[in-house]
Amino acid sequence: MSTDHKEHPTPKKYVQIAIVLGVLTALEVTLYYLEDLVGVFTDSLLIFLAVGKYVIVVGWFMHLRFENKMVNRFFAGGMILALILFAIVMLERGMANFFYS
Amino acid sequence: MSSGHEYPHESTGVETRKLGMWVFLSTEVLFFGTLITTFLLFKGRNFPGIKLTDVYDIPFTSISSFILLMSSLTMVLAHNALENEDQEKTRVWLLATAMLGAIFLAGQIYEFTEFYHKGFELSTNIFSSTFYVLTGFHGLHVFIGVVFLIALWAIGQRQQGLSLDRGIILNS
Repeated sequence: MSTDHKEHPTPKKYVQIAIVLGVLTALEVTLYYLEDLVGVFTDSLLIFLAVGKYVIVVGWFMHLRFENKMVNRFFAGGMILALILFAIVMLERGMANFFYS
Repeated sequence: MSSGHEYPHESTGVETRKLGMWVFLSTEVLFFGTLITTFLLFKGRNFPGIKLTDVYDIPFTSISSFILLMSSLTMVLAHNALENEDQEKTRVWLLATAMLGAIFLAGQIYEFTEFYHKGFELSTNIFSSTFYVLTGFHGLHVFIGVVFLIALWAIGQRQQGLSLDRGIILNS
């Protein structure tokens, strides 16, 4: 049983967090329409925003930040591996565009 | 927040069922991470057949995504209500979450049907395959979630309501 428990946010705080998530989603949609302007950075920025939303949902809505440190490390491990995978793919795509364009 | 329910002592310091769920969720991150990277590998490349950008309806998909995002808010409000031992609010928020998930699924079915009618099918090209596998698996996860939520809501309808043993695991 967890011993380092912190108080969970109030419903009002949850609504505020949901508004932040809504704003991030609006930014993602805006990026789609600005793809010509943003160019090659579109995918990277979309991944950055998605990771931001993911951290907020998992941390606050799923209460990971109020959990035992070991659980946090477990989950952070999965996320770091996924981010490494994204980075490799972005690099591969970038190199392919550079050599074959 | 203590729920009054005591679990046997765990050497890890975390209740085993909860730890199991977090480990499962961690593997889900990698599962979807792999599907997303496969999708990204083929995105923007030229393949025969109709392109996704020709069939996409961004405003519709955005609203659909926002609805699913809001289901995470209603879910955490259900959790909060259960922590406060408010059975009625817990049931209301659980049902709202299930409804939002169901609306998202209906939207996805509508979108997939539209894409198919316009010629963007699973076997159109390798990119369309990665798109349907990624979004299809996501939809499947939402569907399973909706089934579980309705089951929880139904359990909550019983006289004894929801509790740690019959419902959501509370942080303690």
